[in-house]
Amino acid sequence: MLNHDFYLAWRYLSFHKTRSAILIACLSLMAFLPLGLHALLDDGERQMSGRAAATPLLVGAKGSSVDLTLTALYFSEAAAPAITLAEADLVGASGWADPLPLYSRFRIKGQPLVGVTLDYFDYRRLAPARGELPALLGDCVLGHEAAAALGLEPGDSLATTPENLFDLAGVYPLKLHVTGVLAQSGSPDDQAVFVDLKTTWVIEGLGHGHDQQTPAARHQSLPFAQAAAQLQVDARLVTYTEITAANIDSFHFHGDPAGYPISAVIALPHDRRGATLLKGRYLADDGTTQIIEPAIVTHGLLHNIFRIGALFDGILVLVGATTLLALGLVFSLSLRLRRRELETIFLLGCSRATVFKLVVAELALLGLASAILSGALLLAVDHYGESWIRQFLLS
Amino acid sequence: MPSVIVRLALSVFLLTARGVQPARADLGTAPLRIVVSNYPLAYFAERIGGSRVQVTLPVPAGADPAFWKPDAKAVGLMQKADLIALNGAGFEKWLVHVSLPKLKQVDTAEGFHDRYIHIDNAVTHSHGPGGTHSHGGTAFTTWLDFEQAARQAETLAQAMMRKRPEFTASFSENLAALNADLKALDSDARRILGGRTDEPLLASHPVYQYLARRYGLKLESIHWEPDEMPAAAEWEALAKLLAGHPAKTMLWEAEPSAAIAARLKTLGVAAVAFEPAANRPESGDFLGVMKQNLERFGRIR
Repeated sequence: MLNHDFYLAWRYLSFHKTRSAILIACLSLMAFLPLGLHALLDDGERQMSGRAAATPLLVGAKGSSVDLTLTALYFSEAAAPAITLAEADLVGASGWADPLPLYSRFRIKGQPLVGVTLDYFDYRRLAPARGELPALLGDCVLGHEAAAALGLEPGDSLATTPENLFDLAGVYPLKLHVTGVLAQSGSPDDQAVFVDLKTTWVIEGLGHGHDQQTPAARHQSLPFAQAAAQLQVDARLVTYTEITAANIDSFHFHGDPAGYPISAVIALPHDRRGATLLKGRYLADDGTTQIIEPAIVTHGLLHNIFRIGALFDGILVLVGATTLLALGLVFSLSLRLRRRELETIFLLGCSRATVFKLVVAELALLGLASAILSGALLLAVDHYGESWIRQFLLS
Repeated sequence: MPSVIVRLALSVFLLTARGVQPARADLGTAPLRIVVSNYPLAYFAERIGGSRVQVTLPVPAGADPAFWKPDAKAVGLMQKADLIALNGAGFEKWLVHVSLPKLKQVDTAEGFHDRYIHIDNAVTHSHGPGGTHSHGGTAFTTWLDFEQAARQAETLAQAMMRKRPEFTASFSENLAALNADLKALDSDARRILGGRTDEPLLASHPVYQYLARRYGLKLESIHWEPDEMPAAAEWEALAKLLAGHPAKTMLWEAEPSAAIAARLKTLGVAAVAFEPAANRPESGDFLGVMKQNLERFGRIR
């Protein structure tokens, strides 16, 4: 008998497809929005806290500590101002911590291009799933998601692009050689294209390779092969846009490397005393750099996010209540419209209780469909939540 | 009942796992893998580390490490090492072109970087809006000053101890023995070379700058290869140089060909091999080669 109620309810809902779909969508969203939002927030909290906790100290330009954290830990597009490599040298020379400089100014086909020293891979426990880590200038290794997004494998290549069309100051596109793809780490490293720090400086134009210049006339008083030579070349000199075994020796850097730009330095203190002493160095107000604890910055950021989350919860309760009232109204109005139909069922011999069971069956089917839909949406959040967080919240 | 069996099995597994722990701890006593960029550093590392280190010099036999360039395979080998020992002073010109973990590197000459000898005739060029710039050169055969060699060994030992603190006592003891040998070598060099500070000398290659500075040699360098007969113009230039710098002895990185030695003899110049030993010698070791160098030099009068 119960089956007949559900059969009739099913037939009724199938006949009024649009109305049923709207009711299911409303109910699903009512259930999904608060649960999905909390699932995303929990994912975000887990990711941000884990990454921040694994990064004890961060040295960068004075200014927004949130920007610095997002730049160095999540390779955010809102890049923090650059500092120089000298800061990394200072951290290393202190003897209190090991420095991991990184430079994340550039993006390549939408993916963050991050210059690091090889120590970064050891520290983050990143190992190639395929191929090898970069060995030579111009090599790159792709994060798991970056490789999938770019459709590249070891042995392929990809070219950098000048930052804008008006970048005529000599920043040449550089063809990078893909040497490997990193194993999935479930962190922002999955989305990055990693190169050696020196390669980012070549991309920036601080280092370059070019044809051998013709030496000026040999100094007559110096007969032997190592005689001094004054080489003059002009702007027509061909600058290489790909680093190969044949031309790698011609690549060189100008000026003192200590003055080269980096985004931040991850400082790995040897012990608690070292961390305290290192932090003390940056207490002076007149310095141009700051040291931060990403865990504290992230905690503050998450606190704000959760406050916003609580606000969302309040709004969602109000919206949910309103939606429920609206749905109740819609349902009662539809019952009025169906008065003649229900009267006919009664006149055919069905009891009032049977008519009531029919309506309840319709409601049950609508509820079941909504539960299935919101469940599917929650599963999607569970599966893709981490990458959505990285893509939309942290980039 | 099944839960009791599961618990028993779990206990046995955990006990077994705990029993395996000491074996895991033994991984820490595996040899310290050191990759070095020249033979003197290989010798120092082997003397200091003994059986507790595995030293690799990736430069092929017969090649000059100062002009060798690592390929991707050699770089991969260095990346996997526990310690990368570099000579410094511009010896590793390839360093700028490769990706190596910075925290594994030790620049053994960094401690006396203010004492580097800079080569004056460095190439200068200009292009683009940046103006002129220089690829300045630095003399890199730092170990031919045996006091500097001892400092390099000391720096290397410190880095090894940082990597394997549990071997500090052993490394320190071996370092002391090495230092004593280098000190004795330095004394010998001062006795043999230092006694001839007024004598003009020639060098076939500009690689003896630190040797000349430490032991007060009046040395002029040219750029000849031991197995390539110089052109007539270069012989003429040498004759002119000898007019102002009447050297009777010329130091060579390796024994020059008989023809070159004979022609030098006609100019009154004796050829003496003073091998820098930048690469692993076919026989003997660093100390042995340096002692032979000093003995050969001492025999020439």
